[in-house]
Amino acid sequence: MFKQWIPTSLLLITLCLLLMPLAGFSDYLIRLLAIIFLWVGKASCWNILSGMTGHIDFGAVGYYGIGSYTTALLMSKADVPFFFAILVSGLVSSLIALPIGLPTLRLKGAYFGIATLAFAEAMKQIVLEFDKTAGVRFFEGPHGITLPIGPRNEFFYYVGFGVMVVVMATAYGVRRSKLGYALRAIREAEQAAELAGVDTLRAKVKAYMISAFFLGLIGGIETYWLTYITPHMVFDVLITIQMVVMSLLGGMGTVFGPVMGASFLTILYEVLHRDFPYTYTILVGFIIVVVVLLMPKGIVGTLRKR
Amino acid sequence: MKESKVDTPILEGRSLTKYFGVLAAVHGVTFSVGKGEVLGMIGPNGAGKSTLFNILMGVYAPDEGEVVFRGRTISGLSPHKICRMGMAKTSQIVQPFKEMTALENVMVGGLHGKNLSLRDATQEAEKILEFVGLGAMKKAVSASITIPDRRRLELARALATGAEVILLDENMAGLNPTEVENGLRLLTEVRNQGKTLVVVEHIMRAVMEISDRILVLNYGEKIAEGTPDEIAHHQKVIEAYLGEKYASDR
Amino acid sequence: MLLFLQSLINGILLGGIYASYSAGFSLIFGVMGVINIFHGEMVMLGAFLTYWLFTLFHVDPFLTLPLSFFSLFVFGYLVQRFVIQRVVEAPPMISYILTFGIHLMIAYSALWVWTADFRTVTTGYSGWNANMSGVIIPYARLATFCLALIVVAGLYFFLNKTEVGRAIQATAQDKEMARLMGVNITRIFALTFGIGAAVTGVAGSLISTYFIIFPQMGLPYTIIAFCVVVLGGMGYIPGALWGGLILGVVQSFTAAYLNAGLSGALTFILLFIVLILRPAGIAGKGIVE
Repeated sequence: MFKQWIPTSLLLITLCLLLMPLAGFSDYLIRLLAIIFLWVGKASCWNILSGMTGHIDFGAVGYYGIGSYTTALLMSKADVPFFFAILVSGLVSSLIALPIGLPTLRLKGAYFGIATLAFAEAMKQIVLEFDKTAGVRFFEGPHGITLPIGPRNEFFYYVGFGVMVVVMATAYGVRRSKLGYALRAIREAEQAAELAGVDTLRAKVKAYMISAFFLGLIGGIETYWLTYITPHMVFDVLITIQMVVMSLLGGMGTVFGPVMGASFLTILYEVLHRDFPYTYTILVGFIIVVVVLLMPKGIVGTLRKR
Repeated sequence: MKESKVDTPILEGRSLTKYFGVLAAVHGVTFSVGKGEVLGMIGPNGAGKSTLFNILMGVYAPDEGEVVFRGRTISGLSPHKICRMGMAKTSQIVQPFKEMTALENVMVGGLHGKNLSLRDATQEAEKILEFVGLGAMKKAVSASITIPDRRRLELARALATGAEVILLDENMAGLNPTEVENGLRLLTEVRNQGKTLVVVEHIMRAVMEISDRILVLNYGEKIAEGTPDEIAHHQKVIEAYLGEKYASDR
Repeated sequence: MLLFLQSLINGILLGGIYASYSAGFSLIFGVMGVINIFHGEMVMLGAFLTYWLFTLFHVDPFLTLPLSFFSLFVFGYLVQRFVIQRVVEAPPMISYILTFGIHLMIAYSALWVWTADFRTVTTGYSGWNANMSGVIIPYARLATFCLALIVVAGLYFFLNKTEVGRAIQATAQDKEMARLMGVNITRIFALTFGIGAAVTGVAGSLISTYFIIFPQMGLPYTIIAFCVVVLGGMGYIPGALWGGLILGVVQSFTAAYLNAGLSGALTFILLFIVLILRPAGIAGKGIVE
């Protein structure tokens, strides 16, 4: 009975959100919501691969970072307009995801987790060493890049909202498509899926590349907003961890799960980080421990309950 | 040992051998199945039947020998490719996609094994579920389906891939006599649709009833091949199951 | 030529250091299939224990080793017994995520309490080196290298020649069989984890005498332990030596002939490649899921 109200309520919420900046809400709130939108986007990206297939990716931030640097370079050194730059960032991330995904997605369980983590850390190190190795000179100081000052928070509010909607729509679309059936089958029983004709490697790589595209795109957006990035900022494993926890909390493999998880963690961060900078991270760790221990079958239990 | 050669076999195994460490799970197994035939495969536990099936489906590549399907060598191809070529397998331990409904389970076979569109796959899946007698459960989440019905679901999924040859690995294990009867009836109907079946079972009565020919494995090797009647009286087979003493007493 | 020799020696010594704190990681995975992401934190805790004892009470670092061993043993035992024990039956991915959570809690609590300052333990003899015709061998690192050999030999002896050790091995090979033979699996797991932690803590204590220590130092150490153990074979203790040596030498030569920073990148690339091409490690004796 409630189901028929969903589209209408979604529309109403969307309308409200779209109008909020114009209604004179505080800049702080606009900024907070924009951050939430972008986190929902990131967590949803992660969900497209890991939530749906059960292969937990610990290197997602690698693509975020690649996208960040791509946009930073394009905009600061080549004067490429923003919207074009982020699209290119997405594409670059996606293309890199192919040769990385093909070998790693064959690995099982924790080995996949380790390999992806190694990938993300390697990317960080490579960017850190890039100028010395390749003899290029575009980093300042600690390999940071500065971008020209951009528009106000409202701009990122709308861009963030737009991206969030696109990512969620993509997640929804994937879920209902042929690919979605393949991914869900892979999560439940990968070998049975193979035997039923599912090209499991191909399906996983597709999801991986889609996820990487949007992560790169979002990386580009946030770079423009931050206006200054360093490898440690954009290749930070904590970004991946937060994506993981947001999806875990909200419900892996669902479309709206990340919304809950992202909102909760972002607000938690806002509350804590000024006065208790490390408490947030400790709490994130604690949440992970609690979630894992309370689920009878660990993460798999959460996966099952959806 | 009598080698019954089939004229134009749809599936052949030629000297298939597979080692796990130093142990040969399957050794020099040669057999062929004709189109539309039902080949039974029996043997004591650990005889290598499941391993053989896994070799046929590409889960393992054989260390020696070849698998030939419809005249093409398929040994070493990945399972999904073999499935798309027309062979499917049900597993000894059923593996339904638990969070998906029965309908969705079967649809996976149609979508990816047969490359159908979503709409066609849905329609086909509904028809197949009716055919196996699970029509009423199409919306049920497969985690909630009983084991006997899950076996039918596996079969339904295999059928949805459009497979011509279906390998059934103990599809009737653990079923009570009535369920076995129903299972046999279903298999007969599948056979009547022109499918080729290779059936591994421990329930002797079932295998004897449904098979045109039977293959017997022991310790990874083929020890006998022939009609059900021949096998029932074959000395080596009796030895394998009941021990030498009983065989020599006959 | 001197550069080559020095790099080689540096690499070997470095490799020994790596081996000393990676052996515990391999043991834990080999016996209970747990991938311990807070492994590096145990190095950090051992290091900080030594640091505080030295700074506050002027205890010589080498004298803190027994205390380090004991404290980390207790810590490891308790964490395993009451937290990790619950997920040992689950797939390794679960323990990966759980221990990641614990890593965050420990590292950031340490950061909170001890601040992010870099610290070292500088004793009177910290700078002492042996000088063999131009090749410098720092005593502190030599000591850790010897420790690595002792640890691996000690673990090997313990696992093969003592009753408890054999029980641990039996559990590692076939848990159900061990249980049937009356082995208390829960206690064995807790013991194993405790020993793994203890050994790692001691390595950490020694490391504090020549590396900079800080609360977030854990994760890089964990990742190196991964690398070492994957190279040498997961669960194969002597492999930690080989893995450590290979990694140490590769890093050393990269730093000397190419670029110091690149050696970090190389570690990960090497790990990545080994995982793809030879998940069972160089010698092929590791456990692959």
